[in-house]
This record gives sequence, structure tokens and C-alpha cells, in this order.
Amino acid sequence: MALKPEPVPGSNLPAVISQPRDLVEPIVVANTLWQSSNPIAYNGGQASDITHLREFEASGEGRRDNARWAGPLEIIPTKADIVLDLIRANSLWPLLSGLACCAIEMMSAATSKNDMDRWGMFPFRASPRQADVLIVAGTCTTKMAGPLVRLWEQMPEPKWCVAMGDCTCSGGRYKRSYSTIQGIDRIMPVDVYVPGCPPRPEGLIYGMMKLQQLIKDRRGHWPERAIGPTVPEDL
Amino acid sequence: MTTRTPFDIPAHASSDDPRVTLDEQLGTFEPIPPYPPRTEREAEFYTLRDGEMFVNMGPQHPSTHGVLRVVLKIDGEKVVDLDPVLGYLHRGVEKLCENADYHQAICYTDPLEYISSLFCEWSPVIAFEKLLDVQVPRRAEYIRVLSGELNRIASHALFMGWFALDLGGLTPILWSFIERDEIVEMLAALTGQRMLFNYFRIGGVNGDLNHEFMSRLGTWMSKATNQINSNQALLNDNEIFVRRARGLGVMDTATALSMCMTGPNLRATGVPFDVRRAHPYSIYPELDFDIPSRTEGDCLARYLLRMDEVKQSLRIIDQCLHEMPDGPIMAKLPRLIRPRPGRAYAAIEGPRGQYATYAISDGTDQPFRMRIHDPSFVHLQTVGLLTPGNLIADTMAIMASLDPIMGGVDK
Ligand code: SF4
Repeated sequence: MALKPEPVPGSNLPAVISQPRDLVEPIVVANTLWQSSNPIAYNGGQASDITHLREFEASGEGRRDNARWAGPLEIIPTKADIVLDLIRANSLWPLLSGLACCAIEMMSAATSKNDMDRWGMFPFRASPRQADVLIVAGTCTTKMAGPLVRLWEQMPEPKWCVAMGDCTCSGGRYKRSYSTIQGIDRIMPVDVYVPGCPPRPEGLIYGMMKLQQLIKDRRGHWPERAIGPTVPEDL
Repeated sequence: MTTRTPFDIPAHASSDDPRVTLDEQLGTFEPIPPYPPRTEREAEFYTLRDGEMFVNMGPQHPSTHGVLRVVLKIDGEKVVDLDPVLGYLHRGVEKLCENADYHQAICYTDPLEYISSLFCEWSPVIAFEKLLDVQVPRRAEYIRVLSGELNRIASHALFMGWFALDLGGLTPILWSFIERDEIVEMLAALTGQRMLFNYFRIGGVNGDLNHEFMSRLGTWMSKATNQINSNQALLNDNEIFVRRARGLGVMDTATALSMCMTGPNLRATGVPFDVRRAHPYSIYPELDFDIPSRTEGDCLARYLLRMDEVKQSLRIIDQCLHEMPDGPIMAKLPRLIRPRPGRAYAAIEGPRGQYATYAISDGTDQPFRMRIHDPSFVHLQTVGLLTPGNLIADTMAIMASLDPIMGGVDK
């Protein structure tokens, strides 16, 4: 069977194939964002959004006293709080959870040349139970979104999240893909965004320094902090 | 202990992954899929015999080199069987390439194997050049080979660090990142980016050699051999490391060939197959370098072979610098490329093996179909052959010695 691909408007080249075996029968998929018809693949048919944390925030459960700054500490800022914050800010333990390319630059930031340890960002912990900061380094796909939110929930309070790379900030170069989340702030709260594809290690260190400042500044404002994603649902 | 089959498992509320069920009440992580087994192999794997249990490794695991999840079936400390679950980094690259024009497609293939991204863009670029029938200027070819070999060294340096890290040593990764950071800074001076260079263009390269790159390269080359020797003294002469890696995960030649392995992993089994010599491309036929090969086929051989390759890469860089011709770095091409209908296949030798691109053009400015062959995926499938019978800790060592990158596996 002689095959003739659809001529594209504006193409003045003859779109005829000399040998019929050059192309096999094309599988025509609309040139838009692709969605699987299989209901369990890539969250097909649903919005690519893990709504768990959003529901959690709406339920109010997350606002209970769970070692966040609460009770008298909220009302009376003392010298002790400031000291505690200083300690927290200067001993951030990030979680070792690289998702993709950005993870290599995250490692680079932690090793010899850019030694993050100098600013009290301690070498990476492998277990979420021992970590303070989740540096989401890399493309978050719809399949990875669930485990990522789970990691975030497993981390004890107080905890912070740094979105590293364009992919985690907004979707980056894979924004148009059918299987990626367009920014992790659609599934979980983010404190600091470090854009770049990938950001230089210096960029990550700068972001972590911003986080240190944020920890010192946010003193006493914990109840206002988001538990769920910060991007509106209808966006 | 009784035998459990997937049929006995009650239906749970399934979470994101159809193969994982999340028991909300107990908070356990059940690796058994909630549906009846679809294949015989699955039925066999998910049936526990006496004394066996499942251990879930990943997707967040420090030594899986990315977001790979492996369900291990273990008996005591021994791995009986394993089931890798892929797709945690599936970014739909091939589909995105079909919706981008030929120049933009190169940018999507960059982050596939992110520590050797020049090779990921090299094979699509050659495929597109074949479609267009353009002649790349010689200077551009030399620059490509030069930067490519630098990238190969950076990749192998990282391999050294990761492999040692997965065997339990922390020092080598600090050493290897010194090497890697110097090389990527050098390439950043050339290409403008540290990791995802996006440097090769259809018909040439993006920028010419500049002073900063050359001075950095000169400084690094003058001490590179010394550095590499001292790096190797750290590991090659280390009794603990050598004893741990020797005889681990032995691959024989016939199996390696039948599993389509390429690159250092194949050469470690005694087959000196290298695309640079077997199906020459670019200026490699004119260069003088050896293809190292080893016969043991174990983790140590795979490691030593990569270290030998680094020395060959240094030789190639030396020759490139001496013979670098003058001339243009880009072929004359229109901005909007419409190759004639047809198909092209291009394979190159990367640090992990054969990267290949199969592109079909239908006469428009976008590829009709683009298939990317990645060596990581091929090598990862052999973990299932190499691991059973070994200890859990060896699983990581074997996986690290194969050097898969999950970006390339999942695409
Ligand atoms: S932002 Fe760029 S470097 Fe980072 S994960 Fe995404 S594609 Fe990779």
C-alpha cells in the first residue's frame, strides 16, 4: 500500500515516499498533549495532581499541635526561640532524594569543590526520618508524585522544601509532556525555588542560604504556613 | 510459614502506582500487586515460598542511581529473585521530539543521560544530518570529538565515585567530583552550560573554541595523568575494594551478546566491540587509539576497563588538539529544516555503550517518529540475571558496576 502522510500546510516539498517500505502505517496521535486511554496509566483521564495534601489542609487535621511552633511559644517569642531557630537554620539536614539531572548538581554542591557543609547544610541523609529539608532535584513525574509526597509526609516537623531546577519550579523543558507534574507546588508546599536547568551548585547554595534566612524570619508564623500545595487547584 | 499468592491479598485502595497498594490503616508498603498475575513469570515471582520475603528498594534510594524501584525477593540475606519497576522518570521524550522541530528535538534528548549529555545529542544530530545529507566541517568534527571525550572522562570519573560509594567507600566520590567539576567547568566555558550542554547543532557545533576553555583544558591536561593515577592508586591497590569487586556479578560473553550489551560492559566480557571502530563515524577512523578489553566479566573488570578507557580518551584529546584544523564550525543550512522523506539511523559509542537514534522524516519540519536507543536500559535488564544468588548489598554493587542512568532507562 502506498502511504501518503498528510501534507502540512506551507510545506512546498513533495511529501511522497519513494519506496513504500520507507514508512510503516503511521499511528496517528493528535498533536496535542497525549493522554492514555488506560485509566491506570499516567493518571489517565484525571488531572495530573496528587490532591492528598490539599485535602489534608482543608480538613484542618494538619493544624493540630504536632511540635510545630504552637501554644505559649506562639505568643511569647523568647531568646530561646531565636537560639533554637539559629540552631535549626545552621544545621539543615537535607534528604538525599535526587530524581533526575539536577541531582548531580546537588551532589556537586555537597562534594569537594562547593562543599555545602561549610554553611551548616550537613551531608545528605538517606532516610526521611532524619531529614529537615527536602531538596526536590529533578523532574517529578506523575508516577513519582505519590512517593515524593509520601517522603515529605514522613519527614518530621519542622521541615522545609526546596524546589531545585526548572522542572520542579514550573515544569521546565518537560512542561508539555504528558507524564510530568508542572511544578511540584501543585502537589506540596515549597519554601524556596531555585530555577535553572540545572542550577549551578552555587545557585543551590544561595537558595539554601535564603532558606536559612527564611527560617530565622518565619519565627512565630508557623500557623500561616501552607500544608498543601500553594498553587490553586483550577490553575 | 504458609505460601501466599496474589489471589489471597485483599483489595486495597491503590495509590499512585498500580503495582503498589497502600494499606491506610496499617501504613504498610505492600509490594504485591492487587490484581491477579498477568504473566506466568509474575505469578511465579509474587508467590512466596517458605522463608522468603519481599523487600522494596526504591524509588527513593541512595544507591539506585535515580528513581528505580526494585522489589527484591530475599531468603535471609540472599536475593532469590528481583522485579524492577521502571517508569518513575518517564518524561515522554520521544513524543515531545515529534512535536518539536529538528533543532528543538536535540534539546529534549539532552537530559536523557544527564552525566554524558553530549552523547545523547550526538546520535540524533548525526541521524538528522543523514536525513539532510549535510557535510559537517572538519573543525566541527574535531571539536565534537574533543568535547565528547572530555564528557566521557567526566562520566567515567563519576562512575568511579558511585561504584566505590555503593561498595561503601566515601572518599572516591569526593575525588571524582573534583575531576568532574573541573571538566564541566571547562565545558561550560565552551558551551555555556555545566551539564545539559545543548552544544551540537545539525551541521556543526554552537560555538568555537575560546581562550578560557583552552587555558582550562591546558591546565587540566598537564596534571590529568597524575590525577588519574592517584585516583586509581586509591582504588586499584586497595585490597578491600579489589577483593569485594572481584568475581562479583560475572557475565559471560554469550549471555552478554544475547542480552545486547554494548560498551564497556560488553568489552569487559572479552568482546572488543566499539562503535567507534566497528561502524566508524565522525573523525574516529583517523585517530589512533586502542579498544581496551578484558575477559573476566566481573564488576572489577568493568571498573578497570572504564579506567583504561579514560587513558585512551586522553590520547584522543591530545591528538585532537594537535591536529585541530582551521575552518568553519557550521555547515550552511537554512533555519527551518525540512528533510526529504526517509529514515536514518545513527549509532555512536558513549561512555555506557551504544546510543542510537532512528529518525523518520515525512517531509515536514518535525520528525515523524524518533526512536532513541539507550544503553542504560539494555544493561539494567541484566541485573535480573546477575543478582540472584548474591547478597542484598551486592545488588547495589552489581547495579553500580553496570552504570545505568535512570533518565536514559525511562526516557
Ligand atoms: S530542570 Fe533541567 S536539569 Fe533539572 S531535572 Fe529538569 S531537565 Fe534536568
